[in-house]
Amino acid sequence: MANGIRELSNRHNDTNMLGYTELELYHLRQIDATYEEDREPNLELIGELWEGKRQHFQIEKRYRRKDGTLVWVRNNVALVPGTGGVAPFLFTIVEDITQRKEEESARRYTEERYRLVVETASDAVISLDESSAILLANPATTRVFGYAPEELIGKPLTMLMPEFLRKLHENGFKRYLATGQRHINWQGTELIGRRKNGQEFPVEVSFGELTKDGHRVFTGFIRDISERKQAEEMRKQAQKAIQTTQAELARVSRLTTMGELAASIAHEVNQPLTAVNNNSNACLRLLANQKLQPDVLRRALEEIVADGTRASAIIARIRAFIKKAPAEKNRLDVNEVIGEVLAMMGHGFEENGILLQSELAEAIPPVLGDRVQLQQVLLNLFMNGVEAMTAITDRPRLLWVQSRIDESGDVFIAVRDSGIGLGLEADRVFTPFFTTKANGMGMGLSISRSLIEGHGGRLWASPNSPHGAMFSLTLPVADGSPS
Amino acid sequence: MTRASVVFVVDDDPSVRSSLKFLLSSVGLEVESFESAETFLQRKPPDAPSCLVLDVRLRGLSGLDFQHELAARNIRIPIVFVTGHGDIPMSVRAMKAGAIEFLTKPYRDQDLLDAVRIALEQDRARREQEKDLTDLQQRFDSLTPREQEVISMVVSGMLNKQIAGELGTAENTVKVHRSRAMEKMHAQSFADLVRMIEKLKGPAKKAS
Repeated sequence: MANGIRELSNRHNDTNMLGYTELELYHLRQIDATYEEDREPNLELIGELWEGKRQHFQIEKRYRRKDGTLVWVRNNVALVPGTGGVAPFLFTIVEDITQRKEEESARRYTEERYRLVVETASDAVISLDESSAILLANPATTRVFGYAPEELIGKPLTMLMPEFLRKLHENGFKRYLATGQRHINWQGTELIGRRKNGQEFPVEVSFGELTKDGHRVFTGFIRDISERKQAEEMRKQAQKAIQTTQAELARVSRLTTMGELAASIAHEVNQPLTAVNNNSNACLRLLANQKLQPDVLRRALEEIVADGTRASAIIARIRAFIKKAPAEKNRLDVNEVIGEVLAMMGHGFEENGILLQSELAEAIPPVLGDRVQLQQVLLNLFMNGVEAMTAITDRPRLLWVQSRIDESGDVFIAVRDSGIGLGLEADRVFTPFFTTKANGMGMGLSISRSLIEGHGGRLWASPNSPHGAMFSLTLPVADGSPS
Repeated sequence: MTRASVVFVVDDDPSVRSSLKFLLSSVGLEVESFESAETFLQRKPPDAPSCLVLDVRLRGLSGLDFQHELAARNIRIPIVFVTGHGDIPMSVRAMKAGAIEFLTKPYRDQDLLDAVRIALEQDRARREQEKDLTDLQQRFDSLTPREQEVISMVVSGMLNKQIAGELGTAENTVKVHRSRAMEKMHAQSFADLVRMIEKLKGPAKKAS
């Protein structure tokens, strides 16, 4: 049995390496214990030994244990020539290298896994050396920047940046290498990239660093965030549109409230006025025909008086309602309220060809007031100014709004226009139902004055020089504010 | 004794209602006033020329709905609307539905009185037209069936001879029927008769 395993040196307690008994080993040929796939090269080498082509060989191969599991070995095999009746035999030193093989395999697996991640990443992955030259670029780099990886290897990273960032990067990179100080965050920093075609686009960059053989290597993930930026931009625009719409809605609802109030006042007050007119006209007609009986006249006059009283009662009720309207008094910055109302006016100025000039004093102490009511008053004054100028064509349409602290320490606001003006009796505009407008109710300024008086302030009108009207109002400064 | 004309005022405001009544009667008009559309509808339709002075904003049935209701009941009374605070769509709606005028309170009294006069005049003309038609119908109904048959053929342009042939009678008999029918209808001429028959057909055509 020249080919049986006669002896196994026991350096590593190899008796049990394959799990066979001594007797079993005696009958087992080495090649039979070898893993099937590894037999061919092994047999070839053994053949060469017997043929005298080589003295010895080394092979890494697998044995199959008795239990079927595999064991990696490195065998050093030599042919011992036959002497004095002893037949030549193969001398083999078997070294168990299973552990090393497993470590190698695990390392290969890990490397493969990382390679796969980098190759399939949708972000550009770029490695740099200490001179900021590109060592490696993944396929996604082509999609992001337009350069094939081989166009980039050995080139400076700055070729992927717009001109204005290049110097910054070079200086920052040098400084980092020298001092270890980072001036930008290395995780998720938003920068600008530059594609092969010159197009600049937003990127998000994350970099990591590792040291290999005393050299530092930097690897970065560069993500194209154009779409994200675009989506953000669209969201911002949508947000802005919503805000504009809300401001517009607020303006419309204010106007509607005023309009509704005006409409209901119109109906309420028109009833007694109509009755007064009917009765008076009937008396005039009867008088003209000399048919007016004293008792008929008396009854008519009584009704006229009753309706007159009813009309003034309605107005008193409205004034009381406005005064009693639950005013929510807060500390308000009048400049802020003016700003809000200007926003409510929106395109109102532009559409009417009106130039707005505001002179708002800084650091005006707060007043105690109802924001909505003050908005209503200011809105009313602005609208009046705008309407007073619609017929003006021979001079600029100017609307001034001014805020300051007056001599007595009150907050003073003025709205001036270059419109048709108020004529001689400027103060009549505050009388209920006085109007110079074709479709006016004549209630706006009357209500406005009530609102300002409800705040402890004053509202008055005066001619503006050389044209138009000026409406001024004062509001006392809130307690506890320096005045 | 039939009244000359009557104005109906419907307004839920008592002082407006009574002052309107006073104003209209100061120019010699007869006035009846109501506080709601419903109370007006309880009254039996007047037999004299009349019109309505109607407030748009009423409690219960609104003025504009009331206008619809009257049309649905085939009560063809001219309406003058008055309103405390009218808007354009409201007045367009009222005028399209046949209102005479749409006045906003407080109105000029002359405007109201003019509108009322126009409304009464329109109602009077309509009533006369309707009365003419009723008379005409009564006269036509007083004809014998044969006379009705003959004049229908006459106004359709057939000659006496043709009618006689059609009816199987003598031409003279046709002439007698024709002259009796003319007499009963109070027709002055053949042309007059044609007009009368057309008038009678008119509304019937519309109804079909």
